[in-house]
Amino acid sequence: MIDHEPQPQPTSGAYESLRRRILASMILAPALPFAVVLLVGTVNFNLAIREATVSRMVRIAEDHRNAVQAFLDERHADLEFVAHLWTFEGLRRERTLADVLADLRRQAPAFVDLGVFDADGVLVAYEGPYDLTGKVYSDAEWFRRVVERGTFVSDVFLGYRNSPHFVIAIARGEGAGRWVLRATIDPQLFTQMVESVHTGRTGEAYVLNREGVFQTARRSGGTLLEVAPERVGLDQASRAVATTVARDAGGERFVWATAWLNDDQWLLVVRQEVGDAFWPVRRATYLGIVILVIGGSAIVLLAVSMTDGLIRRLQRLDEEKRRLNQQLIVAGRLAEIGEMSAGFAHEINNPLQIIRSEHALIAAILDDLFARGDLTRSDDTAELLDSVRQIRTQVDRCAAVTQGILKFARQTEPTPRELALSEFIPEVAAMVASKAAVSGIALDIAAPADLPPVVADRAQLQQVVLNLVNNAFDAVEQRHGTVGGRVGITAVKNGDRIEIAVQDNGTGISANDLEKVFTPFFSTKPVGKGTGLGLSICFGIVDSMGGSIRVASEERVGTTFTVSLPAAVSQEDERRKTP
Amino acid sequence: MSTLNLMLVDDEERFLSTTAKLLQRKGHQVTTATSGQEALEKLATQDVEVVILDVKMPGMDGLTVLHEIRVRFPLIGVIMLTGHGTIESAVQGMKSGAFDFITKPCDIDELLAKAEEAASRRRDLEDRIRKARLMTAIRSPRELVREADGKERK
Repeated sequence: MIDHEPQPQPTSGAYESLRRRILASMILAPALPFAVVLLVGTVNFNLAIREATVSRMVRIAEDHRNAVQAFLDERHADLEFVAHLWTFEGLRRERTLADVLADLRRQAPAFVDLGVFDADGVLVAYEGPYDLTGKVYSDAEWFRRVVERGTFVSDVFLGYRNSPHFVIAIARGEGAGRWVLRATIDPQLFTQMVESVHTGRTGEAYVLNREGVFQTARRSGGTLLEVAPERVGLDQASRAVATTVARDAGGERFVWATAWLNDDQWLLVVRQEVGDAFWPVRRATYLGIVILVIGGSAIVLLAVSMTDGLIRRLQRLDEEKRRLNQQLIVAGRLAEIGEMSAGFAHEINNPLQIIRSEHALIAAILDDLFARGDLTRSDDTAELLDSVRQIRTQVDRCAAVTQGILKFARQTEPTPRELALSEFIPEVAAMVASKAAVSGIALDIAAPADLPPVVADRAQLQQVVLNLVNNAFDAVEQRHGTVGGRVGITAVKNGDRIEIAVQDNGTGISANDLEKVFTPFFSTKPVGKGTGLGLSICFGIVDSMGGSIRVASEERVGTTFTVSLPAAVSQEDERRKTP
Repeated sequence: MSTLNLMLVDDEERFLSTTAKLLQRKGHQVTTATSGQEALEKLATQDVEVVILDVKMPGMDGLTVLHEIRVRFPLIGVIMLTGHGTIESAVQGMKSGAFDFITKPCDIDELLAKAEEAASRRRDLEDRIRKARLMTAIRSPRELVREADGKERK
């Protein structure tokens, strides 16, 4: 019933490019500010966190430097106190020195031993775990320095005892009466104190001397008296805490905070791996990326769904517009055909009128001739009369054609009236009954008498139903030939609508074609057999009646077209509505 | 069947001449005119009972001619001759006072039947007019006075 020439979708490419453009702007418009805000926010946040991290490191280094310095100062003060309390002679007594050391150790367990030296550097009294009494220290670096300056804190060294330690010493007296009090500090305990910094996973603190030798052990590797592989901070001039980011010997990047202590002899180093120290920065960055991904996908999804909706609506509108245009074209073409054929028929009618008059004259003359006896009846005259009658017959035939054309072409406005379908449908069925009989098609008619009427132009509704029935006939003949075809024309009430269904058991319509059956110029009939306008005109007509037309079909089972029209509101109902 | 005084108006001369011959053979008086103008001129000088008038003619068209006839010769019966397509104008013609219409191509007998009807109605009308004139002539003087008063008041 319908043509396969697939309706080209001339605008599908255009829709695609339009879709792309809308999509691009719908994504870019929110995505650009979103990305900028996110980027600026993340960068600023990172900078702030970095700054906070560095200043935290500075604070830790400063606090720690002060704590370590305070420890050294306190031990120094302890010795000063002892020297103030006791004389050289008093301290030389072994018992006294032992008591003093015990007192000091109560105060600070880091004190390992205590020694008293005379002006020549001889250890005259000693209390501690080693046997060092009588040893001469006049050549020792620390001894010369303490005699010279009165007070000294040494670097860590091995000394006679051959074990790492450092000493705090003070000198008292003048000239030959000069004596020195020296305490050894346990480097392990000192290390523990320095090490007490724990920040994050990799935060650590240690002390180097000016040559970069470890004065305390380093948790991540580095034992006492080893030279540290990194020289970070050793050349710094300022007494304030300095920070920097640099790689260590193993290539790992660290944040370093360094500060001098112990009269700029020792360098306190606090360091933490960059990844560890700046973990919040990374976390913020990850969060930023997660927000970017989620937000970005939300924007994209929203844009896609909105664009698709927009494009679909646009397509629908375009489709509607195209359909309207097609209807307009069809209507225009029909009007043109109507006008042309009307003029044509009229022009033919005039000569037909003359021929008819001539025929009447000939017949009259012949009658007269016979009456007067001028002509005698013979086979020839019989043939002549037959021929004359034939002229009349053929003129009548022409007249029937021209009148048919004029009837078709008559352009009248639709005059909607209340139509009783129980009369209308049998009327339509009667029009096609002979065709159905010829094609061996069984017609089933059902239109109950109690159906409410519909308001429609009789001729138009006739055109619609006839068109559907003719299509049904074609489909049935194509499948069954002249045996077994069945076409139903039924009318039923469905809510406040009346539905006229034309049902057949014909070939059916493929799902693909089903969408296109109402499209103008879509036809599956061979070229020249159908214009492809029938169903689109039906659609237009039903639409103008405030109704709708739908189709359901299954291939090799059949097709049902259903015209749904609003039931006429009877005058009684009308009165009830507007009392 | 009485003799009719007919006039045929159509722009097809052969139709006029043939139909005229046919009608004359049947014993009627036939005048022909090929245009509305000619028809009106001939009506002024000849006694015609029924005019058979083509609706569609070049120059003055059927409806205009009909109006002229109704104004100038109100008693003449007019039958419109129309192609099917101009049936609307035929209806309009009847509203403007045409007696009837025939669609082309028409049968001569049908034409004649309608013409006779028109003629008989015209004669009927003429009879009634004559009678009415007679009544006026023998009206009472009082009625005449009343009528004169009515005219003055207007």
